[in-house]
Amino acid sequence: MDEEQVVKFVETYLKKKGFKQAELAFQDEVQHNSNANSVDIHSDPDLSLLLLSLSQSEDTPARYNDEYSKLRSWTHSSLDLYKPELLRVLYPVFVHCYMDLVAKGHMQEARTFFNSFREDHEMMHLRDLQKLEGVLSPSHLEEMEFAHTLRQSKVNIKICQYSNELLMQYLRNTKSTMMLGIVNDHINFQVSPGQPSLISDDAEVVTLIGSSQDAANQINKKEIHWGLLEDSLEERLENAGALLSDSEKTEGEAKEGDLDETKRRSIEGGKQGASVKKLKKDKAASATAKVVRPETNTGSMAPRVKSELPLPVIPTEVEQSIVEDLRNRVQLSSASLPSASFYTFINTHNGLNCSSISHDGSLVAGGFSDSSLKVWDMAKLGQQSGNSVLQGENDTAPSEHVLGPNGVKRSYSLFQGHSGPVYSATFSPLGDFVLSSSADTTIRLWSTKLNANLVCYKGHNYPVWDVQFSPVGHYFASASHDRTARIWSMDRIQPLRIMAGHLSDVDCVQWHANCNYIATGSSDKTVRLWDVQSGECVRIFIGHRSMILSLAMSPDGRYMASADEDGTIMMWDLSSGRCVLPLMGHNSCVWTLAFSCEGSMLASGSADCTVKLWDVTTSAKVTMTEESKSGSANRLRSLKTLPTKSTPVYTLRFSRRNLLFAAGVLSKSV
Amino acid sequence: MSIVPKETIEVIAQSIGINNLSEDAALSLAPDVEYRMREVMQEAIKCMRHSKRTILTSDDVDAALNLRNVEPIYGFASGGPLQFKRAIGHRDLFYIDDKDVDFKDVIEAPLPKAPLDTSVVCHWLAIEGVQPAIPENAPLEVIAPPSDGKNSEQKDKLPVDIKLPVKHVLSRELQLYFDKITELTLRRSDSALFKEALVSLATDSGLHPLVPYFTCFIADEVACGLNDYKLLFALMRVVWSLLQNPHIHIEPYLHQLMPSVVTCLVAKRLGNRFADNHWELRDFTASLVASICKRFGHIYGSLQTRLTKTLLNALLDPKRSLTQHYGAIQGLAALGPNVVRLLVLPNLEPYLRVLEPEILEKQRNEMKRYEAWRVYGALLRAAGQCIYDRLKIFPPLPSPPAHAVWRDNRKIVTCSILCEI
Repeated sequence: MDEEQVVKFVETYLKKKGFKQAELAFQDEVQHNSNANSVDIHSDPDLSLLLLSLSQSEDTPARYNDEYSKLRSWTHSSLDLYKPELLRVLYPVFVHCYMDLVAKGHMQEARTFFNSFREDHEMMHLRDLQKLEGVLSPSHLEEMEFAHTLRQSKVNIKICQYSNELLMQYLRNTKSTMMLGIVNDHINFQVSPGQPSLISDDAEVVTLIGSSQDAANQINKKEIHWGLLEDSLEERLENAGALLSDSEKTEGEAKEGDLDETKRRSIEGGKQGASVKKLKKDKAASATAKVVRPETNTGSMAPRVKSELPLPVIPTEVEQSIVEDLRNRVQLSSASLPSASFYTFINTHNGLNCSSISHDGSLVAGGFSDSSLKVWDMAKLGQQSGNSVLQGENDTAPSEHVLGPNGVKRSYSLFQGHSGPVYSATFSPLGDFVLSSSADTTIRLWSTKLNANLVCYKGHNYPVWDVQFSPVGHYFASASHDRTARIWSMDRIQPLRIMAGHLSDVDCVQWHANCNYIATGSSDKTVRLWDVQSGECVRIFIGHRSMILSLAMSPDGRYMASADEDGTIMMWDLSSGRCVLPLMGHNSCVWTLAFSCEGSMLASGSADCTVKLWDVTTSAKVTMTEESKSGSANRLRSLKTLPTKSTPVYTLRFSRRNLLFAAGVLSKSV
Repeated sequence: MSIVPKETIEVIAQSIGINNLSEDAALSLAPDVEYRMREVMQEAIKCMRHSKRTILTSDDVDAALNLRNVEPIYGFASGGPLQFKRAIGHRDLFYIDDKDVDFKDVIEAPLPKAPLDTSVVCHWLAIEGVQPAIPENAPLEVIAPPSDGKNSEQKDKLPVDIKLPVKHVLSRELQLYFDKITELTLRRSDSALFKEALVSLATDSGLHPLVPYFTCFIADEVACGLNDYKLLFALMRVVWSLLQNPHIHIEPYLHQLMPSVVTCLVAKRLGNRFADNHWELRDFTASLVASICKRFGHIYGSLQTRLTKTLLNALLDPKRSLTQHYGAIQGLAALGPNVVRLLVLPNLEPYLRVLEPEILEKQRNEMKRYEAWRVYGALLRAAGQCIYDRLKIFPPLPSPPAHAVWRDNRKIVTCSILCEI
């Protein structure tokens, strides 16, 4: 190849790209070095060919189609061992091809290109594709945040050395300059020596996050203290239990008396509706638990941490009752499954948006799309049964009488104040307050004792999707469409902290057991963990493939579970930020998750009208030792599926005694 | 290129009063319309998810428009889904069917029924991991209408097990056993094998699943085998064996069994041959009836009264044949002396008057006369037993006088009967 030719190529290329200054500079250069054959192009025919193709390339949209389809068929016929890795490259290439076409204004071609290849990626990236499908003009690319971030950031793909070589060789040999350009511009290969990585690890590539993977990794390296609070009631009880077991040895009679007393008391306070017989069993179970507990504690003694927040004081009588509950707790395991009590909402006329159950299961709240919040006292309900039955049967006539003097003699207390659908409600740990969040951008605090609105918290700019009381009360966290989560305390009308960072709506929020962290789940398919004191993001959990709907924190503070729209549940190790195991089984939105009180079991409630119980103790152990096999053992983790009668499950709550409460709306189309 | 065709844009433009929209403008607007639509849908889906629904409603779209600061287009919720109608003459043109409503009609219309108020009901979804078979849990049944207010006390009662109709599954062995027994019964043989079978029926445990089949079998065979004396006898022996078996709870099936048994006691004809000793069958059945009454009389208070009523009716109806009378008397006698004393003795006199002409030489039919004598004998035995029972009330007197009294008594009775005759 002649030098002149080369110069010509380069000139045409620069001209075509509109690099005028570069062209001039190049011409200068050529003139200067006309005699010095410093460029050893001759020895590299590949490069010259490449240059040739570059110069030839008429930027026809058809080339995208051609080259992509060639790359696709090459990938599909590649070696089995490397195929998964190479397939991963296809999606970003596809997306960027499409966006390039759009950006250059070839709308029609972009659409045909998109439609001809979208099937390949629908399984993994359906929702992203649906978003991108709407991008039809260059201005949309700028406007749409998702597309914008895609254009801005590079995708990280882990790939082994050999796959990388294969790919590069292919792209060079076939002179797929378009593809090569896209790969160079938008993909950041993390080449690792040795064997290709397992498919199960590819979760990271599924979600394209705004910040680069490195940033996420960096964030995930921050230190977090997931231990439980010092001097918690549980800890105190354990110490007391140790003392008790000592004293038990000396005097057995006292224990019997105690047993009788607790039995009597639990019958009196039988809000949980457990029969006497069952309570006896509870007692037996808790007795065995007492024996077991010291061992487990020495085994997995959670580190204790100091609270970074000033904590509210718990009244002693409440403390007593909590300790009582803890003492009577049933130890759950795969062999002893919990009892579940189901609260079914009827006649909601499609208006119930959310529900919440108090810690002892005695209060049930429902947030409605007509802006109202209704709270049922399940303990009192029986006394009014006569009235309400009448009301049910004779329609309007008696209800007027029932409404008589106070005007509010219903089976529930009605809280009105919001001016938009109520999207979330949460009970304070003691059950004396309810918080509700609404589309009217406010959060309201209600007293269940006074049946009145106490405070209206304004701060969010858009609908507040979720609100959660902290485990100790007083503080609460909210999540909103304005892409922030906020921390509040009951006594201030301004938020204490604002957590910003999610790229889309913050859909759900959950407190860590030690109150020093909150977790937020978002429509950007990530879960983030935030430090309450500093307001910093300390973990990003990447792996979900659709919007996060619910979160739960394990009582030992070590793990977190999150569930998404597709029915996938993931368990995360907070300290490492890695997914411990995915739990597959639901086939529709998982609205709610709840850990049992000792953390051995996870309950999930879904729109597919089931409550599933998962064994998470074994999972934790197994994955600690052999992470790779987590996928295969997945089926074994599902302990039990409890189908309801066409009632999607909205809320789950384990009481302190490990009785499972669930709530949902009867939604039959009869 | 966009899924929104330019024609749609033109139609929309016309609907808001722009009649001369250029084609280019329509073409460039179309993609943007599609993009905005998708954007609104994306927000609407978020609202749907937060309302915990899986079906998108017009409310969600309104909420999404609100989020984007756009005036909601659907206004107040119409309740039902919007009805689109195809425009006549246009293949792809649809419009919302919006009827004119007369205000007067709306105002004068009767108020609709108030919708039921929202309430919460509670039930056990699972008890220690096991789902109780209560209506709230059964997947097929529809939940009962709102029965508000179930307090904690009721909650305790709720998980009472309601047994759902279960398909009766018989093991292969039991089926074989049943076939064998029925075959033996139908063969009417008095073979040793049949006796063994009866013993087995009376003693084997685990036959309970077969009881409904046996009762059915017996009822069927008695109904169509009244002419077959041997068969009837065999069937009654099967019943007897079943009653003996301590592992069988036959109570629930008694109501099916009793008609067959009573038939064998008071039927007009049992067996069609003269040689058939139907008297023996009646005697046997009488003892069967008595044993049933003895065992289940206290559980089913009405059992004995109904039985005695049937038997007494048979006895006091002069139109019934003598064989029926005989069966009735035997049945009543088997029920015990008290029954005889209360029911038979008061009716003795009128009955004997009916019997009298049959017994005496006037009756030409030898057969009839024989039957009458059988009845008479049965009566004698029943009455005698009754009186003997009365006598036993007193402390036993020295043997000879007691014997004398007994004999005398009997004589007196017979004498009195004879006198009356």
